[in-house]
Formats: sequence, C-alpha cells, structure tokens
Amino acid sequence: MHDRTPLFQCGVFKMRRSRLIAAGNGNASVGDDMIEVRNLTKRYRDLVAIDQVSFDVQKGEILGFLGRNGAGKTTTMRILTGFLPASSGTAKVAGFDVFEQPLEVKRRVGYLPEQPPLYLDMTVYAYLKFVAQLKGVPGAKMKSEMERVANLTSVGAVMDRVIANLSKGYRQRVGLAQALLGDPEVLILDEPTVGLDPIQVREFRDLIRSLAGKHTVILSTHILSEITATCQRVLIIRQGKVVACDDLGGLAKKYQEPNRELSLEEIFVKLAEN
Amino acid sequence: MRNALAIARKELSIYFTTPTAYAVFCGMTFIAGMMFLAALGYFQSMSLQFLSYQQPQLLEHLNLTDMVVYPLLRNVGVIFLFMTPFLAMRLVAEEKRSRTFELLMTVPIRPFEIMLGKYLAALALMAVAVGLLGLFPAIVSFFGSSGTIMSSGAGSPIEWSTVFSGLIGLFLVGGAMMAVGLFVSSLTESVVVAALVTFVVLLVMWILNWQAGRMEGVARQVLDYLSMPTHLDAFAKGAPALKDVVYFATFMILGPFLTERAIEAHRWA
Ligand SMILES: Nc1ncnc2c1ncn2[C@@H]1O[C@H](COP(=O)(O)OP(=O)(O)OP(=O)(O)O)[C@@H](O)[C@H]1O
Ligand SMILES: [Mg+2]
Repeated sequence: MHDRTPLFQCGVFKMRRSRLIAAGNGNASVGDDMIEVRNLTKRYRDLVAIDQVSFDVQKGEILGFLGRNGAGKTTTMRILTGFLPASSGTAKVAGFDVFEQPLEVKRRVGYLPEQPPLYLDMTVYAYLKFVAQLKGVPGAKMKSEMERVANLTSVGAVMDRVIANLSKGYRQRVGLAQALLGDPEVLILDEPTVGLDPIQVREFRDLIRSLAGKHTVILSTHILSEITATCQRVLIIRQGKVVACDDLGGLAKKYQEPNRELSLEEIFVKLAEN
Repeated sequence: MRNALAIARKELSIYFTTPTAYAVFCGMTFIAGMMFLAALGYFQSMSLQFLSYQQPQLLEHLNLTDMVVYPLLRNVGVIFLFMTPFLAMRLVAEEKRSRTFELLMTVPIRPFEIMLGKYLAALALMAVAVGLLGLFPAIVSFFGSSGTIMSSGAGSPIEWSTVFSGLIGLFLVGGAMMAVGLFVSSLTESVVVAALVTFVVLLVMWILNWQAGRMEGVARQVLDYLSMPTHLDAFAKGAPALKDVVYFATFMILGPFLTERAIEAHRWA
C-alpha cells in the first residue's frame, strides 16, 4: 500500500540538468532552479531532524511544504536562509551556496520565521524602517517601499503603535511585511497565515498568487486548503525524509483509487502518517 | 557601516524608549551626587579648619581638583562596575531570547556589522554617562570660581586638563566594561546570566590589586597592571601613560572581536 520508493528520488532527473547549467556560481538563468537542495541532513546531537532531503524549486514556482509537527519543515527553512548550518548536504539559492556565500543568498531571500522576529518595544514604523535599512533599501525608496508592504499586509493603520500592544494576528502581519520588504526574489514563509483572520487569509492568498511567475515561494502550513488555493507543487516530509514532491495534479493521479481521486488531505494522511 | 549605524540607532532607540537607560542614569547621577556632596563637605570642613590655623600656606595645598573631582571620578568607576552589566546584558542575549536574532542572521549583513552596531550603541551610552558626570566638575568650577563654596577664596579653580583626562579615563573604563558585557551577552540567551557573569568578571578585574599590597616584585606589578583602578587612577590624576591607554584598548578591541567570533559561530553550529 505504501509505495514510496520513487518519491524519495524526487527531483533527481532535474538535478542532472541543473548541475550542467548551474555548474559554478552565479545567477540562475530563467527557467532554471531557483532553489536546489541536495541530500540535506541536520542532526541535533542524536536526533536526526532532516535526513537526506533533496528537492528543487523552479523560478516563479510556489511550493507548499507539508509535514506533521516535528517533521523538519522549520529546520529545512532555517538552513535555506542561512540561519542554521546543515550537518551535511548542500543548498543553493539562485546558484549561490547558502553556506559559502551567505550574503548573496540573504540578499535574495525574504524570510518569515516560525515566530515573527519582532522587537516588542519598537513601533511598527520604526521596526519596518530598521529592517528595510538592513536589507539595503535605498533611502530615497524607503518610504514608498514601506507603504507598499504595509498595503500588502494591511498594517497601515497600526504603523505608529508599539508592537507589544498589537494583537497576535497583527504581529503576524508585521512579520510578513518584514519578509516582503525589499521585494526579494525568493520568499521563505514558515506558517505565514497563523493567527490571521479569514479576510486577511484571503488577501494573503491573493498576494501569494500574484507573486507566482516572478517570485519563488516556499511556504509551510498545516492548512491544506491553503496549499490547494495557492501552490502548484507540494513537498511532503515525514520524520525528516521526503515522501512526496510533485505538482498537485501529479499527486492526485499517482494516488487515485479505482473509482475516485483522493483529496490532498487523504493523500497527506496516507503519506505523512508515521 | 550603514548597517552598523542602523543597528546602533535601533539599540539606542530601545534603550531610550524603555525605562532602562533612564533608570540606570538616574541611579548613577544620584549616587555620584551623594559622593560629590560628601567630597565637597570634606573639602569645606578642611578649608575652615586650615583657616582657623591662620596658616595661609596650608590653604594653597587645598584645591578642588585634587580634593573633590579626583575622588569623585575614582569612585564613579565603582558605580560603572554595577551599572554596565545592566546596560550590556541585553545587547545580544535579548536578541536570541526573543528570536529576533533569526532576523539579524538572515538579512544581508555581516556578523561584524551586528557587533559594531551594538558596541557603538554601548559606547554612546557611556558617552552620555560621562557627559552627565562632567556636570559635577562644571558645577564645582562655576561656584568654586565665584567663591560661594570657598569661604576664603583660597585654592585654585578647577584644572580642566586634569578633569578632562579623568573623564576620558572614565569613558575608557566604561568602554572596556561594556566590551566585556557585550562578549558575555553574546554567549548566552539569558540576560540574567549575562549580567551576573559580567559583574563577576568586572569585579575581579576591579579588586585584583587588593592582593597586590601583600605581594612583591613581578607578581605585584602584574596584578597592579591587570586591575582596572590602577589605570583609571592614572587618568584621574591627569597623567595617563601609554600603558594605561594600551590596557583599555586591549579590552575595547578584544571584547568586540570575540563577540564577532561568537556571532559568526552561530552560522557554524
Ligand atoms: N534547537 C534544537 N535542538 C534540538 N532539537 C531540535 C531543535 N530544533 C528542532 N529540533 C527538533 O527537530 C525536529 C524538527 O523540528 P522542526 O521545528 O523543523 O519541525 P516542524 O516541521 O517545523 O514542526 P511544526 O509543524 O511543529 O512547526 C523536531 O523533532 C524538533 O524537536
Ligand atoms: Mg515549524
């Protein structure tokens, strides 16, 4: 019943192609893989958090990242953003190795950590300005860039409030606004919709859909309807191992039963359950 | 540099929008004020006493710089000993605890810039502290020269070169202490641990020469050189030597350097 073997090799074919093109460093050309993860393993002492994870994300693609609690999603994203080193394996963003050339990678990646990294004593305005400065947004564009992300995440109304006094959902929005600052090519979002109200969730979906094509997005979530609404491709990990990496249609085809197609939820339960 | 300045500005804005800096500076000024009044009172009673001896040549040995400003600046070193661990404790540890460290480590800036921004903010705080303390000699000089404090007009007005040297010495003491605090803060997620460890380290540096009196020769010289008051003293007397400058510079370079290493180490493990 559980025929997972082909899935472990997800992306191997693509790997050969991209190795040929992206040998050496430099910008990924159009149609190339924006994110390349090869045999990534992370150990915390004896605990293997992720185990030989390999996948690719093409430029302009939106990848949904699924897995049960503790499966290793956050760990993978932290390695991709250069916050954590991998125990072994490599990860490349836009052709740059995240460990060897961290600045090049960080310039291109907007990251929303699992817990939004907010300075509670600052106002939203001061916070966003601070992050924009660190991301190298030029002074002349600062104001318009801050307005742009404030509109996208609807935080304009709380700009002058101290973050400590914001509700959870607003804090999440500010975290999201921070990730969007500087209009990075790649967005890595760890459970971005946690705490958002239904209307804001809808706006978030529209936002992500509007990014498709130009931006590359990896987003993790536990809400499967979010994946079907926004992503072309899903990556499912189970106890640190990739068990599926396919587009939605492909998954449905692979796991269809004689008389009907399975929903993403049913496929997830089938694949991700220990 | 732009990034370092952005971080320094952020640190300072947090220090001054929360009560931290105000509380610390108020406490410092209050205690320094008490020390100042005590020194002033002593000076006054000495002047009166000497006056009653009817020996004007004795009065010439009395001056405000040596009897009020010098002990004040020396004692303020002790206030710094208690104050800098509180100011420095949050510099890096708080970022780790509140997970904002993850932001700093994933935006395109170098660990060096993080360290530099934080240390610049720490030095700015020390500059403010020294500026506040500079008000005391200014008061002495204002009233001292107008003759209100001195019952007889005896003694000389403030020797500003000595006072400036003392204030610079204090700034260097503060900078060295903050360098220690910054490094310790970069090793832990707990601000309490950071403050405690920093305090213990600084206290040891402070009282090292208490042992020196009982020793002889090289050991004594080494202990004397290693302890902070020796060098603050040299500045407060208005005669710092190169070794005093080197002493503080060692802290102010080594602390930030090790901090940068500690932050960089996060990328590796
Ligand atoms: N700093 C750490 N030290 C030790 N173990 C850790 C550390 N961080 C994560 N882990 C472990 O690594 C595994 C993967 O954790 P991770 O946070 O990546 O899971 P996740 O997929 O993001 O889960 P969730 O859906 O709950 O967010 C877990 O077993 C976790 O306990
Ligand atoms: Mg997680």
